[in-house]
Amino acid sequence: MKIPKRRFEASVPSMAMGDIAFLLLIFFVILAKAQDDSHLRWEPAADEQLEQAKNYKASVVIDVKNKTYLNGRPIAQAQLEGALGELLGDTEPTKRTVLLKVHKDATVLQFEPVIEAVSKSGGEIHHVLEQERK
Amino acid sequence: MKLRRNKLLAEPPAGASSDIAFILIVFFLVCASVQPEQGRPQEIPKTEEEPDKQEKNKNPEVELTRTVVILNGDPLKDKSFEPRLNSLLADKQNPGDRVVMLKSRKDVSYERWILFTGLIEKAGGIVTLQLEEEQVQVVN
Repeated sequence: MKIPKRRFEASVPSMAMGDIAFLLLIFFVILAKAQDDSHLRWEPAADEQLEQAKNYKASVVIDVKNKTYLNGRPIAQAQLEGALGELLGDTEPTKRTVLLKVHKDATVLQFEPVIEAVSKSGGEIHHVLEQERK
Repeated sequence: MKLRRNKLLAEPPAGASSDIAFILIVFFLVCASVQPEQGRPQEIPKTEEEPDKQEKNKNPEVELTRTVVILNGDPLKDKSFEPRLNSLLADKQNPGDRVVMLKSRKDVSYERWILFTGLIEKAGGIVTLQLEEEQVQVVN
């Protein structure tokens, strides 16, 4: 007489998967927020022909209150050149793009030192603008 | 005689939750990364400590104020700037001759600055910023 073997089912408990994935989601969102500047308020100037920025390393924002931010964090204009130099490091020339998001009403007094700092740190400037409406 | 009721355990199918969560992650990441970063690249030549006097005389000089634009000393209306600059740069083939020195007054807005640097680049000019040097005065 053959005694049938009991089959034990070994399954991965899938109930916790949702929790794990949720934690992962929070982790990625926080990670994405660290370099995000979407919370800053600024209105772009307009231009006719626009290009998509590629391989950018950093973004500098001058907001409606004329405050300067590097990758979403406030920074003094005097420290910008050094901070950008550290960020860009030895990156190859084609990948040294720095996005410049300047509020359209900001004056030369605010944005020219930023352009100078980007230029001196070896960054390639890419002005972020909106399409001009005709 | 009492009939036994079957206890039906209603449990949501947990097997698919990981797939749903993964799709959620992808969705949020895509949403976070797609920000319009359209604009205009600008190459600004490295500044020299003392620009060559001959070159300085040869290249067009633009001074930008809030209301007018001054091209080689002539105040112009905004509309007449583009044709004047086009005629100035038309016969210049050498990149060094196409350098346009741009000096901006402190109260000029970014919107206006972008407009005129765009016009200079459209005319084939290479924008070079003429920045005011910081002067340190020693008071005895």
